[in-house]
Amino acid sequence: MARMIDRRGLLQAGAAVSTLALTATTISTGARAQAKIAPPNLIKAGTLIMSINPTLPPMQFVDDKGELKGMRVELANECAKKLGLTPEYIRTEFATMIPGLAAKRWDMINTGIFFTEERSKLMYMVPYERAAISFLSARGNPLGFKTIEDLAGHKISVELGGIEEKRTREVADIVAKKGLKPVTVMTFNNFGEAFQALRAGQSDAATCIDATAKFQENRGDFTRAISGVFPQTACFAFANKPLADAVVGALNDLRKDGYYDKLLDQYGVLKIEEKTFAISGPGPA
Amino acid sequence: MKIWNWEGFWGYFTNLYLLEGALWTVGLTVSTLFFGAIIGLALAVMRLSNRRWVQRIAETYVWMFRGTPLLVQLIIIYTGLPQLGLVKLDVIESAIIGLALNEAAYLSEILRGGILSVPYGQSEAARALGLNPFQIFAKVVMPQALRVIIPPLGNSVNGLLKTTSIASVISMEELLRRGQILMQQKFQVLEVFMVVAIIYLFMTTCWDYVQRHIEAYYGRAYGGLADRQLARDDR
Repeated sequence: MARMIDRRGLLQAGAAVSTLALTATTISTGARAQAKIAPPNLIKAGTLIMSINPTLPPMQFVDDKGELKGMRVELANECAKKLGLTPEYIRTEFATMIPGLAAKRWDMINTGIFFTEERSKLMYMVPYERAAISFLSARGNPLGFKTIEDLAGHKISVELGGIEEKRTREVADIVAKKGLKPVTVMTFNNFGEAFQALRAGQSDAATCIDATAKFQENRGDFTRAISGVFPQTACFAFANKPLADAVVGALNDLRKDGYYDKLLDQYGVLKIEEKTFAISGPGPA
Repeated sequence: MKIWNWEGFWGYFTNLYLLEGALWTVGLTVSTLFFGAIIGLALAVMRLSNRRWVQRIAETYVWMFRGTPLLVQLIIIYTGLPQLGLVKLDVIESAIIGLALNEAAYLSEILRGGILSVPYGQSEAARALGLNPFQIFAKVVMPQALRVIIPPLGNSVNGLLKTTSIASVISMEELLRRGQILMQQKFQVLEVFMVVAIIYLFMTTCWDYVQRHIEAYYGRAYGGLADRQLARDDR
């Protein structure tokens, strides 16, 4: 009798274990099956590798524990989740991002890269945010900047390579055409160093987007002297069309959920004007 | 993106903005060497002084400036000093001062090594002949030390030509930074950086040529000519 019970007990235990194992396999294969996109459209299976330059609070920054935070991080993480992928970030300077995308170092550029005609011919760009440029000045705006023309004869520090640098040089051109004193554009490796130059009084103004400028103003370091100039759309950028389409789908889902609206309202960021997300521009030839 | 764009490549070779950057690099190198060598020589002499406190000052300087990265030194000089309310130097001043102070620490060790390589007997003999310390240093020790100093010094100059690119961290628009700026315009990354590399190579090759001639000058007592002279005398 005891032996029979033992055998039954063993059989039951065995059945339980194999059911558990089967369920576990089903769950894990189920999770793998959820990944809506895979190599060769991705660099690494199950992972969405993104490049980011986390020096721009509150959009993308690193907290004091070394963790990535910010609106763009949250939005991209949600898109990755919709696609069943694990987000992976590579922290790098802006100047390396576009060449890196072409060299297949990352699947997506997630740094609020602004839409331009030239860029839309090099990669697939998906607008998701609208941002305008601001000029920070020393606290209290001692030089009294109110308009772009007030920047004449002064030094402006900016990060190398982004739209902010391009617009700063455009300001220099505008000022030159009006016959005012020339603007000196000083390029730094990243915004942190550009702001540091302003803090030390080595430059009179620093260029960055509105949200970051507001954040810096709230921190008390600087004053947001000029804002809302050159509004443009910020995008996610891809080298691979199926992936771009997949992320467009994920963004549209997030809009239907209401997540997109809630997130951008929370950070005080302008949404795109169109009702649905799509790839903008022709993409690479 | 195409694999290689010949038009872009040749275009960057004749790009005045880029070539002007090369002039800035050379300017930075020459200024750094000038000031750095003066400070370095002073440090080397201080290190070899009899007075312990003089030695200590030089040792501490070399320890600090060799022990910290040049990038950090430049940022401290350019943005740290003004922030502390001490002194505000502009980009060019900060770059030259930072590079010179840093290079002086390394040069002082090269100079010190060269001076130590001259046999002590030379100084002793010179003293016996009644030369004063300054004459001993300038007329007896240094000319002989220079032969040993030139190769590592030439090495330093070669390295310095490229180290000046670190000044870009304080927004100095030297050759490499200008290359980076141009790269952002059309994203012809490989083409731009190949041109930048070739320009650097051209500059270092020019220096190699100069160095060879300086070495020949200071080694003329030891070269083939001297051996042939001695052989003729022995016949």
